[in-house]
Amino acid sequence: MTVGQALLQAAPAALRHPAIIGTALVYFVVVGAIGIWATRRTKSAGDFFIAGKGIGVVTLAIAAMASTLSGFAFIGGPGLVYSVGTGAVFIVLSASITNTLGAWVLAKRMRLLGEARGLITVPDAIGARFRSPAAQGLSAIAMLVAIIGYMATNFLALGLVIDAMFGTGLSLGIWLAMLVTLSYTVTGGILAGVYTDLFEGLVKTAASVTVFYYVLTASGGLTGISRAIGAVDDAFMGPWGKMPAMSALSLFFVFGLGSLGQPHVAHKFYMLRDPRRLKWYPLLMSAAMALTLLLFVGVGMAVRAQVALGAMPPLARADDATPAFVLGFTPSAVAGLVFSGVIAAGMSTVNSFMNIGAAAITHDLPRALGRRVDNELRWGRAWTLVLSIAAALLAQVSGTLVAFLGIFGYGLFAATLVPSLAIGLNWKGATREGAIASIATGLVLTLALETLGYFKVFSLPAGVTVSGMSLLLSLLVFFVVSWTTRARAAEQLDADVRVVMEI
Amino acid sequence: MTTRPALLALVLSCTAIAGAYLLAFLPGGAPPIAAWGLAIGSAGVLASMMALGAARGGRLRPMATLASVLTFLVVSGGFGLALLLPANEGRDAVIVLGFPLRTAIVLYVVGLVPLLFLPALYAASFDADTLSDGDLERVRLASAEGTGAERADAERASAERAALERE
Repeated sequence: MTVGQALLQAAPAALRHPAIIGTALVYFVVVGAIGIWATRRTKSAGDFFIAGKGIGVVTLAIAAMASTLSGFAFIGGPGLVYSVGTGAVFIVLSASITNTLGAWVLAKRMRLLGEARGLITVPDAIGARFRSPAAQGLSAIAMLVAIIGYMATNFLALGLVIDAMFGTGLSLGIWLAMLVTLSYTVTGGILAGVYTDLFEGLVKTAASVTVFYYVLTASGGLTGISRAIGAVDDAFMGPWGKMPAMSALSLFFVFGLGSLGQPHVAHKFYMLRDPRRLKWYPLLMSAAMALTLLLFVGVGMAVRAQVALGAMPPLARADDATPAFVLGFTPSAVAGLVFSGVIAAGMSTVNSFMNIGAAAITHDLPRALGRRVDNELRWGRAWTLVLSIAAALLAQVSGTLVAFLGIFGYGLFAATLVPSLAIGLNWKGATREGAIASIATGLVLTLALETLGYFKVFSLPAGVTVSGMSLLLSLLVFFVVSWTTRARAAEQLDADVRVVMEI
Repeated sequence: MTTRPALLALVLSCTAIAGAYLLAFLPGGAPPIAAWGLAIGSAGVLASMMALGAARGGRLRPMATLASVLTFLVVSGGFGLALLLPANEGRDAVIVLGFPLRTAIVLYVVGLVPLLFLPALYAASFDADTLSDGDLERVRLASAEGTGAERADAERASAERAALERE
């Protein structure tokens, strides 16, 4: 929601510059063309949900980066840096490690499980690992809760952006955003999703690198920024920014370990054509991520420096940092690229969630109940449509509740999936009882603590986040329950799964 | 090195973080040692997960061991230095590569240095330690055997049902 609000407050008249609107229109035309191409190639449920296992490692890496970095990386993140300083960078600091970590912990084993079993979803992997439909169904439910919230917040954000750029009004903006994303996702499935992600990822990277160049030139380089801010605010440029050290380190823990529980990334490992090409995944993903995060790190500091130097008035809202900087310090074409990047960020995240949400309903929940859907392609398309309409309606009618639902998505994925998926696939002593208990713990704790916090009934002390606490407790429950039921661990492992875990 | 120490390190790291979180509930807020618990615990969690994921057949190869140990040292060292060094980020700050010293340590050591060695170690050890053509063949064989065994089980169950119906 903050993405669009920020843009609305950043002088809509400036956003309606022909160069900005022209860049956005070109972006939509390219996305539409990719959707039409992908639709012609989508002929089975395998094509729809895992791109027919046919994508290359460059596409995998850039698409994974694109769906990881939502609109928050371009608007909310720089806004947070502007308001709390370098402490906000701890959200993305672990990216130097998590891509290689993900390759070792998840990528190989998930891709090999896909090879051995023909799996198509993340809950599939949990179900296969623990030979447990219950664990598969429970993880699918946890994912659906987070997905609906993520989709609704992104539709609302995209609706606000479209309204700000084209003057459509919020309601029409939401439905236009939904229809554009739906049009290529419902027909072209994840095949359209990954190739639009590839394009959107390249747009984001180009926008980030270009804006970072202007960050450096506008403020006398990084040293100029540090000197300007340091003269008026000691804490801002400190290692933890204006946050307590514990809060910053807590962000590092949650976003570092939590990266192993993000289904929109893990799901993409099934799609890789040749598993041996994973060799280059960490290098490509890390490079793409590092370049695209330059905007996140640089813009908030540059705007704070400009304010310190008296060249800009203080921002009314922190989330105005990126719009204010690109409109004030870059040419219109670059601003167009950035705003297209913001739209790209929202759409690339939403289309991944549309697809894995539809898969959870069409594939995982029926299997958890011992049933199979006859035509998964047709039902996958139908549920993509239903989920999208539900999320758009939710975005339209529920106001602040949508923002609330969107807040805990990352933490909910982390608390419910990291133990059972990331550790489960690498520890033969883990048991289905441990997996089910940890998923339930993560789901209940995240929902309960976030709800109590939202209604101001109970809040955790400074430095302890709901995501961190839920992730930690679900891990501990996983270890304790697996250990107490360890006698059953061996019998819960199928021979082919054991081979995948031993390689 | 086997996966058992990695698992133990993971549990201990989680315990260190849990201890830090518990200290935050004390009246007056978390004491400084709590930040150390999170710093060392977070480094330990990432390094031990890496070791767990990189292990083959319960054993960790040298390159993966090196990657895990370096990750732990870089992250805990970077955060540790930032916690230990005196604060000096104001007007007279010592600027290193564009940032005040402690901030530069965190951003460059924790945020950049792993980028320089982790993808390289992963790629360099991939063919020998992570996934070979032989490994793929092994998985495909296990899959085929699994499918065959499932088919045999289903046929056996079907025959048993038929026999019961005849009786």
